[in-house]
Amino acid sequence: MDRRDFCRVALGCTVIGCAGGLAGCARLLEWSASDTGAARVATMTAGPPPSAEPTAAGVPTSTPEPTPPPLPDLAVYRGDDPAANTRAAVVALGGMERFVRPGARVVVKPNIITGRDPELATTTNPQAVAEVVRMALEAGAASVVVFDRPTGDPRTSYTVSGIQAAVEAAGGSMKTLSDRNFERFEIPAGRELTSWPLVTDVFEADTFINMPIGKTHGLAGLTLSMKNLMGIMGGARGEVHQRFHQKIVDLATLVQPHLVILDAYRIMIRNGPTGGKLEDVATTKTVVAGTNMPSVDAYGTTLFGMQPTDLEYLRNAGEQGVGGIDLEALVIQEGTA
Amino acid sequence: MSEASRRGLHVYRRWFQLVFLPLFLALLTLTVWPLGSVFLGAFLVGDPLIALNSAMNGVLRPEMWLAVVMLLVPLAVGRAFCGYVCPMGAIVEWASPKKRGSGLSERARERWRRAPVFVLLVSAGMLLFASGAFLVLDPLATLTRTATTLLFPFADRMLRLAGDLAYLVPALRDATDAVTTTLSGRLIYAEPRVYALAFGVLGAFAGILALNLAEPRFWCRHLCPLGALLGLMGRLGFRNRTVDAEACISCGACERVCPLDAVRDEYLATDTSRCQLCLLCADACPTDAIAIGTRPQKSLYVPSRRTFLAGAAAGLLAGFFTFTGHARRALDPHLVRPPGARPEDDLLALCTRCGQCMKVCPTNVLQPSLSKSGVEGFFTPEMDYRIGSCDWTCAECGKVCPTGAIMPLALAEKRTTVLGRAYIDTTRCIPWADYESCLVCQELCPVPEKAIVFTEDAVTTPEGADLVVKRPHVVAERCIGCGVCEWHCPVPRESAIRVRGLDA
Repeated sequence: MDRRDFCRVALGCTVIGCAGGLAGCARLLEWSASDTGAARVATMTAGPPPSAEPTAAGVPTSTPEPTPPPLPDLAVYRGDDPAANTRAAVVALGGMERFVRPGARVVVKPNIITGRDPELATTTNPQAVAEVVRMALEAGAASVVVFDRPTGDPRTSYTVSGIQAAVEAAGGSMKTLSDRNFERFEIPAGRELTSWPLVTDVFEADTFINMPIGKTHGLAGLTLSMKNLMGIMGGARGEVHQRFHQKIVDLATLVQPHLVILDAYRIMIRNGPTGGKLEDVATTKTVVAGTNMPSVDAYGTTLFGMQPTDLEYLRNAGEQGVGGIDLEALVIQEGTA
Repeated sequence: MSEASRRGLHVYRRWFQLVFLPLFLALLTLTVWPLGSVFLGAFLVGDPLIALNSAMNGVLRPEMWLAVVMLLVPLAVGRAFCGYVCPMGAIVEWASPKKRGSGLSERARERWRRAPVFVLLVSAGMLLFASGAFLVLDPLATLTRTATTLLFPFADRMLRLAGDLAYLVPALRDATDAVTTTLSGRLIYAEPRVYALAFGVLGAFAGILALNLAEPRFWCRHLCPLGALLGLMGRLGFRNRTVDAEACISCGACERVCPLDAVRDEYLATDTSRCQLCLLCADACPTDAIAIGTRPQKSLYVPSRRTFLAGAAAGLLAGFFTFTGHARRALDPHLVRPPGARPEDDLLALCTRCGQCMKVCPTNVLQPSLSKSGVEGFFTPEMDYRIGSCDWTCAECGKVCPTGAIMPLALAEKRTTVLGRAYIDTTRCIPWADYESCLVCQELCPVPEKAIVFTEDAVTTPEGADLVVKRPHVVAERCIGCGVCEWHCPVPRESAIRVRGLDA
């Protein structure tokens, strides 16, 4: 065997070996799509994330005052600038420092159901999302990652919605979800939905911020913050639409965002949740922020001229103790930015 | 080989190939949403075989000047395209066994010399009867198709696997996510790309390469329709390989190294319909008798009357029987063409079966047609709404089509272009058949005034329960047939809402 032949044989063996190795890896990893049915257990608690230091719970360690004033359940701010509204509402809730500790990994989940211009109110206002990214970074966040699982191609959705450009300009990063970002999680309190593949980042982040936009929705009535969490669900989400009004509550028993910011600068009042016509958009110039999804959604219904009890899933959430939907019983701070 | 003879551009032939093949693949890699201003389809638009077919079918576009140039170039340099530019030619050449010379007998070689005549006549016959099915063998279309259905899905899965492996190291996770996001929609897709009959495409490509075992570059020599067309022009060439008869010692070295069997008549003459001016012969010539010059001594293959008539008959039969195919009349109800597609007969005549539209499609909904449009429609694009749907924000397939078989539409125009119409199968639709809530189709219908509406029906189930169920209905005049409903319908396997094609 001369050297040329030896090289050829060696190359051939290497190629075959690599292919075999890759195939083996692929089998082990099941091409990322591993959903073995074994579910992971994780817990989240609503409200600000637990403090790293054992100081006064829920109060920023840097705050000099010994007794901070009581914080509202909801902060509702109106004004001509979506970013300023968002900032004012978060400040009224105690500032981003209450939710984001220095060095925290922050995950923001806007609604990017599909690619539409921001004016059509199909996706969360990009300026509002960018403002949240900026505030989190100001509070010392190590990273701010923004994602959704759009119903179509993620790249077209991220781009056309304007959210990608706004987030990147603000210093955050967008993330396109792959199979490897999902894992099946146990939903211990679930009645109809007992486990589902969910984005692991939501559970691994120090702060999870849910940032929906208010829209009408054929099946749900309205899509607000609770329905927005469908964007962290993997798998075949069409199945969630059967016995939907309980399943969406089941999910909310597990995934409880630390901060909920309902963008209602523009809301979609007809043909939701995808819309596509300016005539179906109402400019309400409002932001509703809170720490509990049913409470935020309860206020959100009033923007559409509805009652919280008009939505079946909100009624379920209230009855099952996921959150308060009685607006009379909530401390609501309203203002103008 | 004398060193003195190794002068001229042919010395850099390998470099030409090493530029053009990566360029071809680079342009195809960039063929993703959103298309920039780079003209990505240059190879296919400049392909004279495709351009000739388009022109004969009445489609002319300004970029076709490139094809005219390409068609005239053989007059001066023979089939240099095949040896210097063609990316398929480069692959076939590199896959050839190193052993020079033909494995065929002298008789077989003479018989195969007729092949280009048959290829051209059959192509002409199909062109005459307005069937573009012969373009399935165009080398540039073949390579585009192969890369689209095999190479890019392979790259997608390999990148995915690399990401999965990197993800095992927690420190690499952020970087992996960043790379995945950057490549998303470019090389990695939300769902791994799949194409119908990818295995068949692999087989065809492997077959082309395997023909090398019979004779090096058998495909380029005898079967390639583009090579045959360029060779037709090469016959008229005024400049080609020349041999100094005084210097020639008739050693036969030139004939042995010629990759395209172009050396004829005791080595003095050239078949200018074959010579690619690689000048391997000149490099092999011990007496430096070979050069490029004007008025080459030609030895062209002239088909006998019998051969010509046989080829013409084959061409007419092929054209006639594709043109009168059953699938053209009895259109499959689920055959839905992409937005901007011309009427079926025009599409079948114009489509190059290259698959560039499938490459650019962001949702993978564009699939090669296998049976719905007959044998003739093999690999023409159709919508498979269980794989994806026509993205509301995309109108790129028409822009990359090299022949206008899919006409370019502005985005606003595409959004009102009707591809088909959705029908609900109420025997399987969840709210109709199972009395459960669903409305996924209504929710995702992208038409601004939704083409799917719902009624709240009071129903009594067979068990006697009284319920109010929201049930979907399609508003026919609003439906554009984008298929997002069919794609996302949670009913397993066959969707309970299906888009059917409409006749214009």
